[in-house]
Amino acid sequence: MSDISENSSQRRTFLGIILGAIGAVIAGAFSWPLFRFLSPIKKSGEAGQVKIPRQQVQVGGAHFFSFQGRPAVLLQPQAGEFVALSAVCTHLGCIVKWVGDKQEFLCPCHAGRFSPAGQVLGGPPPEPLNTYTVAVDGDDILIS
Amino acid sequence: MNLAKEAMDWLDRRLGVSDLIHSNMGGYLLPRNINIWYTLGAVLMAMFGLQFLTGIVLLVYYVPHTEKAFASVTMIMNEVPYGWLLRYLHVVGSNLIMVFLLLHLLSVLFMGSYKRPRELTWLSGFGLLNLGFAFCLTGYLLPWSQLSFWATTVATDAAGAIPVVGDYLVAFLRGGPSVGEATLGRFFALHVMGLPMAFLGLVGFHLFCVRRIGISSPPFGEDYQPTALTQHFHHEEHPGGVPFHPNYTIKDLSMVFFALAALVAITFYAPWLFIPLDALDPADPFTTPEHIKPEWYFLWAYQTLKIFPSELLGLASQGAAMGFLAILPFLDRSPERRPGKRPIFVALYLLGILLFVGLSIWGHYS
Repeated sequence: MSDISENSSQRRTFLGIILGAIGAVIAGAFSWPLFRFLSPIKKSGEAGQVKIPRQQVQVGGAHFFSFQGRPAVLLQPQAGEFVALSAVCTHLGCIVKWVGDKQEFLCPCHAGRFSPAGQVLGGPPPEPLNTYTVAVDGDDILIS
Repeated sequence: MNLAKEAMDWLDRRLGVSDLIHSNMGGYLLPRNINIWYTLGAVLMAMFGLQFLTGIVLLVYYVPHTEKAFASVTMIMNEVPYGWLLRYLHVVGSNLIMVFLLLHLLSVLFMGSYKRPRELTWLSGFGLLNLGFAFCLTGYLLPWSQLSFWATTVATDAAGAIPVVGDYLVAFLRGGPSVGEATLGRFFALHVMGLPMAFLGLVGFHLFCVRRIGISSPPFGEDYQPTALTQHFHHEEHPGGVPFHPNYTIKDLSMVFFALAALVAITFYAPWLFIPLDALDPADPFTTPEHIKPEWYFLWAYQTLKIFPSELLGLASQGAAMGFLAILPFLDRSPERRPGKRPIFVALYLLGILLFVGLSIWGHYS
């Protein structure tokens, strides 16, 4: 009787180990799809280039757009000269505003100021705005 | 110093956890002849847990708006990494839950486990079955496909047959005269918040009843004797039985894994079983697809409505059948649980299954 009980207990332990191992494999196998599901996904326009019609940005004006999922801005300081910058302030991540009268960026959060080239003019921002490569393609501006 | 033991001792001194664990695990004895049908509760708990998990992650991308719902589901299926897997697991899982709920119901009926003193366990279980139906009905609309839209239109329209309040009830269910944005809003709120909260409360009560009253002995074998009814509360003990842990938990776990294997097999090899072609088109309120049919677990109800000359009679017969099942423990008061000694019940039981299957097949091919 005790042999049967011991045998049964051993089988149960073995089954428990097998089930635990299968459970661990299943949990491992499904945690990857779950992680990938919850990871940020790339949408069209978030990778590569963004094309903006030339007439959307006036001389001395600014055009805000989304580049790689982040706010960016395209300027035309002088006719035919284009500059593309990140619109994210390097201080605490607020979005800068274009002040046309002063031809400079102002961050509304802590009054950081940037030049049209993205250089820090004043305030707390520790670094200049990120710049992007700009190319003119006929009537379009390509930002990459 | 063993950190785990220290932590356990710390908890034990404050909450008496080791006593709690012992009385509910190793010291909790179950009948020696307990069978595999008793594992369906654990299987259902695991499957519902998976529905909660997959449902929560699907909410990350799903948009409950008539203009965007179908596109968001399409995006989940085609663009989000492994979105197809999580959605298929959710869809197939919901169907398997209905299978296991019905099997659980049938096994409890066959073994007479619903009888006194387990009326409240039965009622709460029956409530959970109906919550399962409600989960399926409300979840069905969310993808906002042709199938969702028209199946919901037909299902909510049936309430219109109720005299006097029928039209108001239909409008109340839909949030307007027809299925639209308001319907999607209320079905979404019910599906992701209202029903899960009700489910958690009811499943908690169901488990409390199971534990408090004690597991019923399977009514088989020569040793079985019907339990004498008492006027006072009595917890059914099983001296000399097998411990819940590890003996029964291992059996529970094995069956859970079988259920998961079935879920994964259908998800990978035959998900189309539960996703017909009409589910692939966005909802069009001006074009009803031909041969629109409800899901398999509603086919019996669908066919019943078609058989009777008036929709009201059909609804009344469905209500009578469900009502009869709900109050069965109060009608069937004999303590006898052995199927061999309940020939009338077993005959009705088999007829009921045949009727359910027959009406469902008829409904499918009609």
